Amino acid sequence: MSSAHKILLVDDNPADANLTCEVLATSERPAQVSTVADGEQALQFLHRSGQFAEASRPDLIILDLNLPRKDGRAVLAEVKADPELNDLPVVIFTTSHAPRDIARCYELGANSYVSKPGNLGQFFSAVRSIENFWFGFASLPD
Amino acid sequence: MTMHSEVDILLVEDNPDDLELTLHALRREHLANNIFAVRDGEEAVEFLFCTGRFKDRSWEHPPRLVLLDLKLPKLTGLEVLKLVKNDPRTKAVPIVVLTASREERDLVASYNLGANSYIQKPVDFDQFREIVKSTGLYWIVINQHPLSNPLTRAATP
Amino acid sequence: MKMPSTQNSLSQNRLHVLLIEDSPSDAEIEIAELRRAGFDVAADVVDTREQVRERLKKNPYDVILADYSLPNFRGMDALDIVRETNLTTPLILVTGALNSETAVECVKQGAMDYVLKDHLARLAISVRRALEDVRLRQERARTQEQLADKVEELARSNCDLEQFAYVASHDLQEPLRMVAAYTQLLSERYQGKLDSAADRYISYAVEGATRMQALLEDLLAFSRVGRNGVTPSPTDVNSAIDEVLKNLDLALKQHNVTVTCNPLPTILADRFQVVQLFQNLIGNALKFRAKRNPCITISAEQKGREWLFSVFDNGIGIGEEHKDLVFKIFQRLHTRTEYPGNGVGLAICKKIVEHNGGRIWVESELGHGSNFRFTFPAAVADKAGKTEDYELCTQDPISR
Repeated sequence: MSSAHKILLVDDNPADANLTCEVLATSERPAQVSTVADGEQALQFLHRSGQFAEASRPDLIILDLNLPRKDGRAVLAEVKADPELNDLPVVIFTTSHAPRDIARCYELGANSYVSKPGNLGQFFSAVRSIENFWFGFASLPD
Repeated sequence: MTMHSEVDILLVEDNPDDLELTLHALRREHLANNIFAVRDGEEAVEFLFCTGRFKDRSWEHPPRLVLLDLKLPKLTGLEVLKLVKNDPRTKAVPIVVLTASREERDLVASYNLGANSYIQKPVDFDQFREIVKSTGLYWIVINQHPLSNPLTRAATP
Repeated sequence: MKMPSTQNSLSQNRLHVLLIEDSPSDAEIEIAELRRAGFDVAADVVDTREQVRERLKKNPYDVILADYSLPNFRGMDALDIVRETNLTTPLILVTGALNSETAVECVKQGAMDYVLKDHLARLAISVRRALEDVRLRQERARTQEQLADKVEELARSNCDLEQFAYVASHDLQEPLRMVAAYTQLLSERYQGKLDSAADRYISYAVEGATRMQALLEDLLAFSRVGRNGVTPSPTDVNSAIDEVLKNLDLALKQHNVTVTCNPLPTILADRFQVVQLFQNLIGNALKFRAKRNPCITISAEQKGREWLFSVFDNGIGIGEEHKDLVFKIFQRLHTRTEYPGNGVGLAICKKIVEHNGGRIWVESELGHGSNFRFTFPAAVADKAGKTEDYELCTQDPISR
């Protein structure tokens, strides 16, 4: 296993993406975060095509739902239907608390679903918890 | 064990020591009101599919989290995973594999079959407690679980 | 046979009569009788079914006078023709001797009235009554139509408002989150590093943003009441109260609150709403406590088809002039430094209660505590264990 954990962060809101990256940077475990702002770029990254030919396979995907061009649900569905990618853990990280969205994501195979809190302190806590669980306790496929 | 009507956490574990430790760790954190344990893969499947011994269980209250060991009598953990994650009625239940196995192929197979996460049981007691506590905290407090069975879900705004 | 219509000395609207009569002299006598009574009669006299049909198709008549038996058909058959042509013209039988059973039967079948030919004095009265009846029916139909229109308009307007409230608060949350998060970050990272004015500006910005977030959440919660489409089910209020007390456990212990709960019924409701309702009321009782040890008493009594609930506290009480105001959304009686909150709790309670067909009000005296009372329709369990609910008027025009 390589030294730094690789995270693909898919979020179209630069302010949120920025916050998330800042929190991830505070972890004792070094992480290499790649951020893309829409669903199509996310899939290109994962397929290592186009501008992302040099991309490396992430260990974890943090995926927002409401994205331009291809929304998070479509990305999730494609990833989980692809035998090359379906073992990649996908954590949905979105503002939506709607039970309908939550249920739908699990149906599509999301590993985990975390709602973005409105409060700054809780937001930090949530991101920290995600990083802490998936890289501190869980075992991930190589 | 508690009434198996509204179970928060289902433990699938045949080793009595591990079961004891896990229960203790979870209870200490007051993470869940109802923790139910089954000892083999067959019982786990009956529980989740509301059949056999558990035919009176309601589909409306699937457990919020399943902690699944891999080495089980009657039906292995991987077989349980396959059955549960392939059925649209039960697919959404969060299943975290909690196993002593260090085999890479078990890890890969689990994720491929749809396990939500995979945790290797530490040998050390304190570390074991710590990992159970953190796992419980993440999956019960941070993670949003699907509210109910897709077949019986009430209309949502 | 056609009779020329004649002018009448009395100025009244023309009375258009279709006379189904085979005897010309009888027809003449009837028309004369009506003219004598002051009607300006324009009459068409016919005696066959085809003629009746033809006339009804061509002209509007105010009233039909029909003999019971004509050589070619029964006078009552004219009623069928009237109905065929979708008219509501009243028919009065004007006939020779008729036994009372037959007469009643004819009225049952739809004749407005019957008048005997040797008692023609009654004819005018009968015609007047028939005309009045038609007028009333038309008026009622018109009023009902207007009412239906107004209800539809109101429903649409309500729906628009609710949607607006929901969308506005929902869509506003996102950019607000940005403002709140980054002003807070600014505050944390740059506190003391810029000048004191900057510190103050930033803290005002943070306060404004956080308050707006809370307001939006409250507004969203308020607009969500009744929108989640949950079918009411038998809810044990005692267990709902247990849940509320568990939620408020820390605060209740902290302030030494005594909660007395009398036996409470099972009602037909959305359990989540019941918990919300009591949590707001008990939370308020706790928040607006007086110097003495807070005591809260919850009870219920059955009054006919309703349950009357009371949540009584010994807190600071509410003045007479404010008793209606407290249920208005965002209405507060105190400053934010005195008591926190946005003034939405009671508005939510009111919405929940009214959505379930009940009423809510408060009995209170400043300095002597408050008794919040509300009604809920009773659900009655029958022997089979099923429940019937007594539905009070539900005025919710929005069906979802």
